[in-house]
Amino acid sequence: MGSRAEILAKLKANKPEALPLPQIDSSIFDEGLNLIEEFTKKVEVVGGNVYQATSADDVVKQITKMLPDTKVNFSTLEGTSAFNTIDLSTINDPRELEDLDILILESDLAVAENGAVWVNDQSLPIRVLPFITKHLVLVLSKEHILPYMHQAYEKLNHQPTDFGVFISGPSKTADIEQSLVIGAHGALSLTVFLLD
Amino acid sequence: MSHPKLASIFNKDEKKVDWHDKALWFVRHKRDKSVHSVKNWEELRNLGQGIKAHMLSNLDIYLEEFEANANKNGVEVHWAANAEEHNQIVHNILKENNAKKVVKSKSMLTEECHLNPHLEADGIEVIDTDLGERIVQLAKEPPSHIVLPAIHKNKHEVDELFQEHLGTEPCDGNPQYLTHEARKHLRQKFIEADAAITGVNFAIAETGGFVVCTNEGNADMGAHLAPVHIACMGVEKIIPKLEHLSVFLRLLGRSATGQPITTYSSHFKKPANGKKMHIVIVDNGRSEQLSRPDFRASLRCIRCGACMNTCPIYRRSGGHSYDATVPGPIGSILSPGKDLKKHSTLPFASTLCGSCSDVCPVKIDIHAQLYKWRQIITKETPQPFVKKKSMQIMGSVFTKPKQFETVGKIARWSLRNLPQSVINSKPNVWGKERDLPKGPKQSFDQWYNERQKNKNNS
Amino acid sequence: MKVGLFIPCYINQLYPQVGQATLELLEKLNVEVVYPSGQTCCGQPMANSGYESESIGTYHHFVNNFKDFDYIVTPSGSCAYHVKKHYDIIPQTDEVTGVRNNVYELCDFLLNVLKIEDLDASFPRKVGVHKSCHGLRGLRLGSCSERVTPEYSYIEEVLKKVKGVELMPVQRGDECCGFGGTFAVAEEAVSVKMGKDKIKDHFESGVEVITATDTSCLMHLEGLVNRNKQPLKILHVAEILNSNL
Repeated sequence: MGSRAEILAKLKANKPEALPLPQIDSSIFDEGLNLIEEFTKKVEVVGGNVYQATSADDVVKQITKMLPDTKVNFSTLEGTSAFNTIDLSTINDPRELEDLDILILESDLAVAENGAVWVNDQSLPIRVLPFITKHLVLVLSKEHILPYMHQAYEKLNHQPTDFGVFISGPSKTADIEQSLVIGAHGALSLTVFLLD
Repeated sequence: MSHPKLASIFNKDEKKVDWHDKALWFVRHKRDKSVHSVKNWEELRNLGQGIKAHMLSNLDIYLEEFEANANKNGVEVHWAANAEEHNQIVHNILKENNAKKVVKSKSMLTEECHLNPHLEADGIEVIDTDLGERIVQLAKEPPSHIVLPAIHKNKHEVDELFQEHLGTEPCDGNPQYLTHEARKHLRQKFIEADAAITGVNFAIAETGGFVVCTNEGNADMGAHLAPVHIACMGVEKIIPKLEHLSVFLRLLGRSATGQPITTYSSHFKKPANGKKMHIVIVDNGRSEQLSRPDFRASLRCIRCGACMNTCPIYRRSGGHSYDATVPGPIGSILSPGKDLKKHSTLPFASTLCGSCSDVCPVKIDIHAQLYKWRQIITKETPQPFVKKKSMQIMGSVFTKPKQFETVGKIARWSLRNLPQSVINSKPNVWGKERDLPKGPKQSFDQWYNERQKNKNNS
Repeated sequence: MKVGLFIPCYINQLYPQVGQATLELLEKLNVEVVYPSGQTCCGQPMANSGYESESIGTYHHFVNNFKDFDYIVTPSGSCAYHVKKHYDIIPQTDEVTGVRNNVYELCDFLLNVLKIEDLDASFPRKVGVHKSCHGLRGLRLGSCSERVTPEYSYIEEVLKKVKGVELMPVQRGDECCGFGGTFAVAEEAVSVKMGKDKIKDHFESGVEVITATDTSCLMHLEGLVNRNKQPLKILHVAEILNSNL
């Protein structure tokens, strides 16, 4: 517990008089975005790519064409088990996933204003998956794109999750002389497929 | 050393100053482009300010709520009054888990507490995994910027550093190659780590969860691979509700680098099966800062670094010239609260231009606080006799118009008649690189009175 | 309308021509201007150096000189800002709050109080505007690049009314010049570097004359230009507004 009581007592004694909590009126930020257009633009700005697909099968077909020579692949999409080269139930330690080449995950929430796609425990059998994979593929219905973060959290308020992450583009860094390099510690590429 | 001394050393290499200035101005420019495309950006800042100010005025209550919820989530919560206690708590957790190898993602708090040397003294390997932080760790330097820790280093310096420490090939500073080599080197460290330490960007009272933002993915690589995750946070990282993240995540990335959001905004709540998660809540002077009405707004800071990128002094003096964990304008209002004497030159390392306050996503009145710290510093720390005396004399002369005119007359005469070699002799710091005005024969006052006299006579 | 002219201390002693231009300009616009004799300073030099307590006498002196005017006009954004922002440490009598409310920077006064249409001035030169910080971010005499607000600039609006003025766009129009009062001396190296960069920006943008609402910034820039013998002219905005070239 350490100095719990002491810290709380000090904060209580030193805080100013209570100030009101502002309410968020998300309508004032609304520019009437074309959601698919804006989302696509933003994913591209942050270094990812957006494609259309007709079905899970189509996603697998397209991605195998784009990245043909991969060894370790895994998809959580329904009916795509033929794509998988590993069985997650045999993975004892997430470190064994180090050689994962392609990971395909589903999402039911994305944000137009920043190209972020929400991935959570429910679609994520092992948490490190979207970070450790070389190529990350996210699949999403067009109707799941929301305009701003405000709408995204309205939805998340009803979806309690143990772990979840907004992913906007592939991992990147500009720590060497402000030169943008795609592919830092996380995924080297991000591809989003939009389903009708 | 004082800020002006360190700044003048930095300025000996003008090319480097130009390069540093341009690199950071580029980031400021990206920030401008990004925020100018957000409808009602200023309202978003108002919300950021308002939510944080509300939080600070209920801080103890929200921390208790956060703790209760975190406990329910199976997370162990620890409380540290100061840096030593923080380091001790982290050290104990590592010992309990027999952890010898630790990976750490960016956390200004652990920098502030000097956690690394504390752990290293016990033979624990601590690897900073943010690329910029790894670079400065290899160079045995502190970060010079809170978002861009190695912004003071050029690519050739990084090239040499990596050759020496990581055995890379000479590459003429190719950032692509160097980043790729760092990825390989740090992959190994992630795989081997016994524990991961991360910072916390936002802790949500309502859920007991917390959010960590990175672009590189290093916090997640560490936290999800190692069996133990320790997240260290200052008390002020609390926000009341989940929905408030919508405001702060919109503000943070855009203010920091101009990105619409950081690549990864990871929401941790419960540990994964078979893993442990700890949160260390740290005071270390924050409750004291909360007690200062003029300065408590500094605790609203979300560590975006925008005030550094915009500050014309920071850009031309480098982060190390501040000799403080958090450099730049925000550091110059935080640091005096911790050690007034050591940091007494920082509030003067500003022209009070106000750009910092206007870029701040949570509207901290940084330049107004710099002004207020100045008033305290001149009272509570020793000041040069000459400065003190001259201020007293000026204050007095300005209440006596006749004396003012006499002093003015002497000054004008001197400027007109003394040789340049005397005017620009050493005590005149102004004259080192700048001429003084010529020294007109008449003051405005004299001219005006003469004009009035002529008017009345005619 | 009773207008009191406030001539800041350094303009009074070192740049009287700026005060003269201000007075003549206002008179030309048929404003009844009074220059209260015995005025000195707004108190900013001590206060910004951390010696606010030493400036209290100066504050009272200032209020006494200007308490009877409807408007107090000054060719300095920085001094006007100081009176508005920092005179909160003396008792807020009606006189004090009156003075604080009524003080105006010159361009602000011309545009927003006098609402001038024409200036009958001409200045056929390429002019670069330095947007002095205290006027810009303190008094909001224009929009700044940091904030997302409609664009405006009082100094540029009034300059556009001068025949022949060609306003030259610069790269960093609202970056600080590095003067900053005692900062110019206490942080000499950075101050000089900021000034040099400011001049370079204007020079490379084809500017012939740098102008601003504040002679303090201009004194710093002029000091550098003169020392380095650069072909740039430095003029306070009042001097341009009062020109007939």
